[in-house]
Formats: sequence, structure tokens, C-alpha cells
Amino acid sequence: MITHEDQLALFTLISKSITNNISCYAFDGTAMMFYGYKDETKDIDILFENEKSRQDFINVLEQLQYSETSPLGIYLPKKAKNKYAPLMYKRDESRFDLFVKKIFQTIISPRMKEDLFSVHEFKSEKTLTVNVLKKEHIVLLKAVTERDKDFEDILTIIKKEKTFDWQYFIDEVVWQFNHGNDWALLDVEKMLLELKKYTFIEKKYFTQLYQAHGKKPQLKK
Amino acid sequence: MCAEEKLRKLAGLQTLETATKALGFTRQATLNTLSKLKKEGYVTVKGGGKQKRLYRITLRKQRKRSPGMYDILNKYSPMKLAIWTDHQVHGPYGPEDALIDAIKTKKFRPILASLRLFNHIKDWKKVYRLAKENDCWQQVGALYEVARIYFRVKKMPSYYTVPTTNKWKKLTQLKRKNFPHIAKKWHVYIPFNEHDLKEIK
Repeated sequence: MITHEDQLALFTLISKSITNNISCYAFDGTAMMFYGYKDETKDIDILFENEKSRQDFINVLEQLQYSETSPLGIYLPKKAKNKYAPLMYKRDESRFDLFVKKIFQTIISPRMKEDLFSVHEFKSEKTLTVNVLKKEHIVLLKAVTERDKDFEDILTIIKKEKTFDWQYFIDEVVWQFNHGNDWALLDVEKMLLELKKYTFIEKKYFTQLYQAHGKKPQLKK
Repeated sequence: MCAEEKLRKLAGLQTLETATKALGFTRQATLNTLSKLKKEGYVTVKGGGKQKRLYRITLRKQRKRSPGMYDILNKYSPMKLAIWTDHQVHGPYGPEDALIDAIKTKKFRPILASLRLFNHIKDWKKVYRLAKENDCWQQVGALYEVARIYFRVKKMPSYYTVPTTNKWKKLTQLKRKNFPHIAKKWHVYIPFNEHDLKEIK
């Protein structure tokens, strides 16, 4: 498991060895630790905008004795075989999931880039910039990745946040669907139906999802 | 009462008295609870001594911050900026870096506040290098000259005072030629006027 302090130490160490300035997006457990939702995570999930940045990052990880591992067994088979599945690097109990351009079918939308929660710059000779996504985007990406404990993490965020912007979240899901992410609506609907058991979610949000998909509003029990 | 329940009742800004009332505990029991939550990272304390002690309690842990651009700008400028995106830098970071980052935002208020940084710049070589890397030396030069009109500012070494290119550049989206002699010298559109500068005097 990686703690928040470990995570900062790792990023600082990586920033000392990179050969170019790298900018990336943190989501999932990594972002949750920056937020303060939890103290440790199994994996550090990062999205890069281009292959070159990811390769630079991987070179440093290899120097730190991380070795490549398979996404099978961690992600559902249909997702592990996806073109945009992550490259995974592991050492002992810590793991890096490195995505490039897309997280499976989810792309970084203009709103994701604009409405960041925080920007952490790890400065050395070169700079590693870690952009932490907003909580609404973290929930969306957790719904899409569907791994062990992802739902628990979503529940943690919803319980700890008094100001979760559901409309913003649904707008983002619909944007993703309209830009070619076919899984977004299905994965989010599945997550919301499960979440309804724990918290109140207004019917209008489901209606918006169904309308986006072009089918009649039908709520499951 | 579990820790999460206590946090839910206390979330927000509290004094010892309001926290005691919210929890329904004795004064000592409330102090013990707050102390425990503080150790876990959910509480930060302000005040003390002559001032009233204020407890800021959140449902998520409050991480220790490293100062970023907004922290530096708010430290030196009398006009305080609200932070939209939390910017933190882990590593060496000073007024030189904050000045360049403020120009890079292309936003009116951070750039206006950055005028106050010129009196705290010690390493002009670093400013020049960073500005050249980010292609904004003209903007730095123009801002420096505007700052010199209104505040006491340490002198820039004469080596750097010569504009290097002739292409007109914008600080923000506004294309105004306030301070025409400076704008003409550095080929930079200066968006703020004398009235705006009163904000940071």
C-alpha cells in the first residue's frame, strides 16, 4: 500500500530523474489521497496526454526497479484487452497504472482540464506537474474502471462531500457519451443504481441519462 | 458516538463553546475529542492567546500545504486573491517563479497582484531565464516599468532592460495601450490603468 507521504516522496524522486518537463492527470486513489479522502491506496493512476511523456515516466520507474505487469486479473477482461488499457508497473506492494490519451474510452474533456481541484508541481531540474481532477470526475472515472473497491471509494466520496454537484456529473457523463464513450452511460447507470441504496439521487438525473441514450425513462427497482 | 458522527456534527468553523454545544459533551470531553481529531488530521486550529481559538473541522483530512503561486501573491500583495485551483509546489519556489507563473495565467488579477513581487526579486538571472523559457520577457519588462512608477522597486540590472523582440504581445485578452510609453517600448498591451493600480497600493 502507498501512503500520502510515500506518494509525495515518489513523485519528488521521479521529478529528479525525468529528462523533460512532464504534465499528467491524477485520478482514482491518487487523487483521493490529495483530497484527503483516504490515507493509502493500492495503485497510483496517472493519465498522460502523449506517449512520449508516458515513456519518459516509465524510464524513471524502471530505474526505480519497477517492472511491467499485466492488467488481467485487476481489470475486467473486456477492459484489460482494450486498446487504451493502462501499462502497469509494480514493485512490492506499490503499483502504477499508466494511461495515455484515454482511460479506456473516457477522454479528458475540456472541463476536466479547466476545473482542476489542485495542481502539484514537483520541481527539480525539470518539473513534474500532477493535475488532480475534481471529485465529480474522480467518481466518473471510478465508475468506468470498475475494479475491486472502486464502489467503496465512490461511497466514501459521496458520504464525505456535502457539495457533490450531481448536475455537473451527469453533464460530464453525457458529454463523454456524445464523444464516443459508449460505456459511460451504462457504467454510470449501474453505479448510480447501486448508490441509490445508500444515498438519495433525484430521478431527474436518471431521466437525463436515459434521454441521452435515446430510450424511455425506466427506473429499475 | 463514532468519529464520523462527531465529525458530521462538528464540520465547519467552531469555537470550544459551540463544539461543546453541538456534541452535548462536557468542556473537557470536547477538548479531548478535538485533540484526537486534530491528531488524525481532521482539525486545524487558528488563534489562541488573546484571540479566540477557532477550530476548522472537515470531513476529509486536511493535508499540509506547500506554498504555490497564490500563496506567494497573497503574501506580498495587499489585494488578496481567492484560490480557484489549489496550486502547490514541492521544491524551491519563490517570487521569481511566482511572477512568471502569474504572467502565464493570462488572468487580470494575478498579473496585477504580481506587480508587488518586483520588490522581492533577488535573482534577476533566474527571472530572465524562466521568462525566456516561457517566452514572456517583454511582459516582465513592461510590468517592471509600471511597478516602478507606483511602488518602491529594487532596480533591475541594466543588462536586462533592453527589449529583445518587436512583436506585440498581450498580458491578458485585453488589447489596450495604457501607459503608452511603456507599451511602445516593450511592445506589450498593458490591460490595467491607474485606477486599477490603486487596488494594490
